[in-house]
Amino acid sequence: MIEVTGLRVVLPPATVALDGVDLSVRAGEFVVILGSSGAGKTTLLRALNRLVEPTHGTVRINGRAVTGARPAELRAVRRQVGMIFQQFNLVRRLSVLDNVLTGRLGYVAPLASVAGRFPEADRRLARECLSQVGLAHLAERRADTLSGGEQQRVAIARALAQSPAVVLADEPTASLDPALTDSIMGALRRINVDRGLTLVVSQHQLATAIEYATRIVGFRAGRVVFDGRPVDVTPSAVAQIYAP
Amino acid sequence: MRRAIAFVALAALAWAAWDTGADPARLLRGLPWLLDFIRRMLPPDLRVLPAALAGAVTTVEIALLGTAVAAVLALPLGFVSARNVAAPPIFHTARVALNFFRSVDTLVYALVFVAAVGLGPFPGVLAVIAYTTTSLAKLYSEAIEGIEPGPVDAVTATGATRLQVLRFGVLPQVLPLFLSYMLYRLETNIRAATVLGFVGAGGVGFYLQTYLRMIDYPAASTVLLVTVLMVMAVDFVSSRLRRRLV
Repeated sequence: MIEVTGLRVVLPPATVALDGVDLSVRAGEFVVILGSSGAGKTTLLRALNRLVEPTHGTVRINGRAVTGARPAELRAVRRQVGMIFQQFNLVRRLSVLDNVLTGRLGYVAPLASVAGRFPEADRRLARECLSQVGLAHLAERRADTLSGGEQQRVAIARALAQSPAVVLADEPTASLDPALTDSIMGALRRINVDRGLTLVVSQHQLATAIEYATRIVGFRAGRVVFDGRPVDVTPSAVAQIYAP
Repeated sequence: MRRAIAFVALAALAWAAWDTGADPARLLRGLPWLLDFIRRMLPPDLRVLPAALAGAVTTVEIALLGTAVAAVLALPLGFVSARNVAAPPIFHTARVALNFFRSVDTLVYALVFVAAVGLGPFPGVLAVIAYTTTSLAKLYSEAIEGIEPGPVDAVTATGATRLQVLRFGVLPQVLPLFLSYMLYRLETNIRAATVLGFVGAGGVGFYLQTYLRMIDYPAASTVLLVTVLMVMAVDFVSSRLRRRLV
C-alpha cells in the first residue's frame, strides 16, 4: 500500500530529518511509528503526502507515485490519504460540518465548492462520518467551541470523508488529556478493523504503541532502528529506539 | 552611545523649531485674533444647513464608495503581496509597488484625478480608491502572513486545489480581520474626504473652503459643525460593528 525507498529529507537550513528510510506498509496494517521527539516521525508522515518535499528517494501510495507527481496527480493521491494532526488543525471559524466537508474538496467541482456549494451526496457523507465519531449533534457548532478531544474526532471525520485508502496520524493524542488517548486511538482502531484502512500513526508513548499497533517501526535520528510486531519489542529494542 | 543619540535628536528638533519659525511668543500675540475668529463664527448661520448637509452626504458617499471598491480591488493585491502565499518574485514586486503608491496621500491623488477627469465628487472617489486599495492591500497581506499554518496544511492534505486551499484554509482565518480593516479605513477615509473639497474633489470641504473665502464665518462654522457630527456618527457606527467582528 505504501512503498518508501531511500527517503531522505533535509530541512532548511541543513537538518537531516530523514536519513535513508526504506519502508513497506501492506494494506490493512496498523503501523505505529515510535520514537522520541526529533527522531523524524512527523517528517516521515508529512513526506508521505508531500507536505514536506523529500530531498531524495521515492514514495508510492496505492500504486501511484507521490514523489515526482505533477500537481494534479499529487492532488489525486492526497485525496486518498487522510491526515490527522497533533494540533487537530480544524479551521476554527468554520462549522464542524464545513470542516468535515473540506475532506470532500478533492472530489467535488472546484469552482462550485469555492462558492460554498457541495452536492447533497457529499453533505450526507460528511454527516455520516460525523455520526461515526459520535458527534452528529455538533454539526452546526463552530469548530473552536469544541473541546480538544471533540476537535480531534472531527478531524478523524474529516479524514474519513476523503474515503481514504490510507490514514496518517501525527501524534494524534499528544495534545490531549491522557484520559482521552483511548478514545482517539480506539476510534482509529475501529477505522482499521471495520473499514480495513491502512493506518500509519506516530506515537511517543511505548505502552500506547504496543496496545494498538499490529506493527511497530522504531525511529532514531531519521533512521529505522526497529521493525517488528509489538510482542517483539524487547527492552533492548526499546533501548535502541530511545538511546540518546 | 545613548547620549550621542539623545544629543542628535535634540539638535534635530532645535533646528526644526528654528527652521519652521516656531515661536511661542508669536502664538501668544496671535491669540486675540484666534479668539476674534471664533467669536465671529458664532452663532452658526443655520440658513446654510441644507447645503452643509448635502455636502456631508456627498462626503460620506465618496468615502463609502471609495472604500468599498478599494476593499475588493485590494483582495488579489493582498494575496500576491503575502510572503506565505505568493512566489518570491511576485511577492517582492508587489511589495515594492505597494510601498511606492502608498506613499502618496489621498489629497495628492485628488489633485491628479481632478486634473484628469475634472471637478466634482468623482475624482474624490477615485482618489479614495487609489490610496485605500494600496493601504488595505498592505493590511490584508499582513493578516494573511499571520495565519495559522496548521489548518492550511490540513486542507492541502485533502487534495484540494490552491484556490480551494485559499477559500477554506486561509479566507476563514482572515475574513474578520479584512472586514475590521475595511471599517477602520472607512473611518479614516471620512476624515480624508472632508478636505477633498479643498482641491475641487467634492463634498463638505468644498462648502467650508467657499464660505471661508467669502469671509462668511457663521456659515463656515455651520459646515464645520456638520462635519464634526458626521465624523463622530460614522466612527460610532463603525467602531460598534468592528467590536462585533473580533
